[in-house]
Order: sequence, then C-alpha cells, then structure tokens
Amino acid sequence: MDNRRRIFLRNSLGVMAAGCACAMCGGANARTLQYEFQATEIASRTWAVHGRNEYFSLENGGNIVNVAFVEVPEGVVVVDTGPSRRFGEQLLRLIGEKIPGKPILRVYNTHHHPDHFLGNQAFDQSLVAAPQKVIDNISSEGNAMADNMYRLLGDWMRGTEVTVPGKALDAQSEEVGGRQFSLFYLSGHTSADFVIRDDETGVLFSGDLAFLFRAPTTPHADITAWRSAIETLRVTDRDLILPGHGPSDGRGESLEQTLDYLDWLDGSLRESVSKGWSMNEAMKTPIPPRFRALDVVDTEFERSVVHLYQQLEDELMPSIQISQ
Amino acid sequence: MSDSTQRTRVVFSPEGIGRLALGWLVLSVMLLSAANAATDVERELPDDPLDSVMWESMANRFFPGGDIVFDQRVIVDAPLSAEDQFFLPVTVDATALETNGLHVEEIVAVADLNPIPHILTLRPLEADAFIGFRVKLQQTTPIHVGVKTSDGIWHVNGVEVDAAGGGCTAPAMAHGISNWMETLGQTRAIVRRESALSTRLSLRMRHPMDTGLADGIPVFYMNEMQVKLADGTALADIELYEPVSENPTLTLKPRVSSNQSALDVRARDTEGNEYVFELPVPDLVVGN
Repeated sequence: MDNRRRIFLRNSLGVMAAGCACAMCGGANARTLQYEFQATEIASRTWAVHGRNEYFSLENGGNIVNVAFVEVPEGVVVVDTGPSRRFGEQLLRLIGEKIPGKPILRVYNTHHHPDHFLGNQAFDQSLVAAPQKVIDNISSEGNAMADNMYRLLGDWMRGTEVTVPGKALDAQSEEVGGRQFSLFYLSGHTSADFVIRDDETGVLFSGDLAFLFRAPTTPHADITAWRSAIETLRVTDRDLILPGHGPSDGRGESLEQTLDYLDWLDGSLRESVSKGWSMNEAMKTPIPPRFRALDVVDTEFERSVVHLYQQLEDELMPSIQISQ
Repeated sequence: MSDSTQRTRVVFSPEGIGRLALGWLVLSVMLLSAANAATDVERELPDDPLDSVMWESMANRFFPGGDIVFDQRVIVDAPLSAEDQFFLPVTVDATALETNGLHVEEIVAVADLNPIPHILTLRPLEADAFIGFRVKLQQTTPIHVGVKTSDGIWHVNGVEVDAAGGGCTAPAMAHGISNWMETLGQTRAIVRRESALSTRLSLRMRHPMDTGLADGIPVFYMNEMQVKLADGTALADIELYEPVSENPTLTLKPRVSSNQSALDVRARDTEGNEYVFELPVPDLVVGN
C-alpha cells in the first residue's frame, strides 16, 4: 500500500507540470512578484484573464493560463484559479475591482493541472467545485505538481498549498446566483476534463480540451478520448469558446486547430515508432508549416514524444517469443 | 601543449594493475627525460566544456588509458530538460569517427551526478557506432559519453540535462503492479533493413531495472546483452547498469549482410535470468 502510494507520487512526479499559455495577454513582474493581469470583457459581464502563450518560467510566474470570471445576478462565478496562491489572491483583487461588492458564489476547476487550480487557496474552499474525478486527481497528484511548480517558479509559489475543491459535481447543469450553467464531463487532455457553459451568454469554458495558437500539452493525454471530447464540443451550442490557452474564439477555430494538431501528433509518433526510431530521432520530425502559428510548438512536441511514445511502443512494436 | 596551463594534470591510477603500475612508474622515472614517458601513467586531461565537478573522477574511472579529446563528432542527442526524470531519451551517434580505417571499440555513457554514474557500455563489434537508450536521472546532471577508437583515443562529448529529482531512488512502476514478475522479460522488437549491409534494431524488454536505491527493493537489473548472427558472429555487446530506465528500450544498428536472415539476442539480468530470442531480418524493401 505504502509502495503503491509512492508509485503514485512517483508517476505524477514523473510527469512534469502541464504547461499551457497572445496579444492581449498579461505579464508578470518577477521582481515584485506581481502578476500584471489584463482582464478582457469577452462577453457581457464576462472577463477573461489571458495568460501568455509560454511555458512556466521565473519571468512569467506561471501566468500562462486563461482564467475567467462572470458577473451573475447575485454574485460572481470564477473558472480556474491559476498556478499559485499569489495568482489566486491577485485574481480575487481584480474581481473586486471589476465587480465591486458582489460575493464569489462558485469557483470551477476545469482539471487538475497546476496552472488551473493552485490559486484555489485564495477562495472559500466550500465554493470550489469540480467533478469527483477532478477532485481525486487533485488529491492524488496535486502535491507532486505543486512541488514541481516550486522548482519551476521559485518564489512565485511561496505559501502555495494544494486546496482540494470542497464540492463534487455530477449534475448536467446548476444554477448559480440566478444564472444557469451547463456542465460537461469529458476527458482526453487528462482523465477528467470539465467544461462549463454559461447558458445566458453562450460562453463555453473549454479548459484545456481546446488550445488556440498555442501548442496543446499532453502529459496526461489520451488522444482517442480527446478527439471524442472535441467531437462533443463541436456539436455543443455556444457563442464563444474560451480555450484553456490562447485568445477567445468565436468561430470554433480552437477545436479544429487542436484536433488537427492531435491527429498529426498521433500519426507522426505512430510512424516513428513503427520505423524503430529512438525518441530523440522522433523529436526531429519536421513540424508542418501550418502549426508554426502555434506558440511553443517545438518544445511541446518534444515533451509529447516523451509523454506518448512508450504507450505507442507497447501498442505497435511486435511481440517476440523468448526462451528463458 | 601550448595551452597546458589551462589543463589539469592528473595521476591516473586504475585498479587492478598495481603490479604493472609500479613497474611502469619505475620505468617512467628512469625515462623521465623522454618527453612522452608519461602516457601510460599520466595523461593530460582536457578541461571539460560542461565544467562538471565530477569530470576528473568520471574520466579516470570510465575513460581510462588513452588520451582524451573532446570531439564534436560524437553526437550526444538528449533534450536539455528531462520531461520525465525516469525516462530521459539519449541517442549517441559516433559513426563520424569511423574514418581512415579507425573503428569504434567502445561507447561508454555516464551521468556524472547520478548516485551510480555508469549508464551503459556498448561494444559495436559489427555494428555502427550508434545507440539509443533511456536513463533515469537523480538530479540535474552532465552526461558524458566517451567513445574509444581503435587507436586508443577517447573521443568525449556530452550534454547537461536539467531534471526534477529522484529518478534513481523511486520504486519502478512495475512494483505498483501485483503480477509484474509474470511479464518479466516480455520483449518487443522491430528489425528493419536500412541498406544492404546495415539494419536497425529497436528492442524493448520488460524489466524493472531496480537500482537498489529505492526503499526495500533490492538491486535487480538487466546487465548484459549480446546481439549475434545465427552463425555466432558477435555484432554488439552491451553492458547495462542500474541507471538504464525501466523496460530498457534500445536502438542499435547491427551490420547484417543481405545473405543473413536472422539476429540472435541473448540478454541476462543480475539474478542470472537469461532471455534468448531470434529476430528475423527482413529483406531490403526497394524504394524504402
């Protein structure tokens, strides 16, 4: 049991924190540890705080993710909380400036990657909600991810502790403060990806099932499940998508781009494995010109080779009879 | 010699040659007037471009004997940051050294700051000086690869790889699976003919590769592998050590002429288990 627990930790340690991240993006001041948020009103009384399309660094403090907040009749709903306690606290201040005097009623976590939930600490735990499977993932892997974030972000992470969501969701929709939200329980980017739609504005908060002009990340990906999640989102009514990373998307381009990239990634890795290439050789595969528009595509492709290669080796390399 | 002021002069003291060493010492003292007397006992150790604190120790332990030169023709391909400290992929290509009748005798890979630095040694007897492998890293570390050519010279190159901690001291994934012993040695392989003379062998064997450094789990790893032709001709010998990643996955380029149709592989682990198998070599596909 003890062993298993360690294995779990070891497995999660083994997977580096998911990095995910635009012209409207905010920055960060590494000297004062101030995130320089720029809140953009992407729909009526709906603000997105766009992170940079980068990987975690001491310079950006982990401000590489999109978080959002929505004013509903009786209060405020928040989607994702960023990579650190500091991020959560500064986000909370920003919300107070944009929507003064209204209480936070609900905080959603789209999935268990550290840039999406480690700001939970700044909020009332009982208001933080996610599907049970997301909660389980945060419980089991959150600490290892926080450890790795300390390694990558240093002092930006000071005082950050994993805060597990206090409420498990399983309903298809919920009403929060006079606003109806539709809830979608999907997977593929991770084993549990939670998508939220504001039924009033039609904004779909896709989490990391959709990326736009930023290469998708795959540390916990199941490509087949991810494709099918995108198929579901394609036929889901909405007016606007806020992807986990990249600009807000009124035309569904984030879904098409993500799907296109995943198809290419999967196909190219399968070909490399079938040719008997080493991971290093597979990393040299030329990236098609259409993906040059995706920020950090070179590094994410290299990371994806490491994430996905062994599973494909076990699937595609022929089994050999041995005598012992 | 002109930059000798920047070089470190070290006394080379390999184990097990005490008798000889003493004799050589006396001899070399006698011959001290001769400028080249020191080569067998003392050698110039070039500065390490990676500036590893372990460089002298690594060079003396793992690249003994001949002169050492840092050589860009030894290509050590690895990501600069380990996405997964349990599986850092490394591919070494030293085929460019095999000119003017020289051949590569040995390729030795070490991770300087691992608790057990030696990763593997390949003797490419009848194989290209090429190997792909994966390694566990305990921390950010320089990786040095020494390639010994038939003139006795070590050609060294390396990379420094950033890594999260703990790759060598955590239990293998196998120990999270109750029946892992049943799949021990399970093997997958791809053999492709790349030309009339050369093949590519990609091999993956299920093995925990326990370092002995994880709590309560004794050392247990695949420690040797030989690739031969059916007629017994040895193509490649590999010594594997604890840092090689779980489920060792190797890429080699054995030289197999077109009248040969199979490779024999024999692997052994530290418990004495032997894993023996034959791999058919496909014909060269024209236009491939």
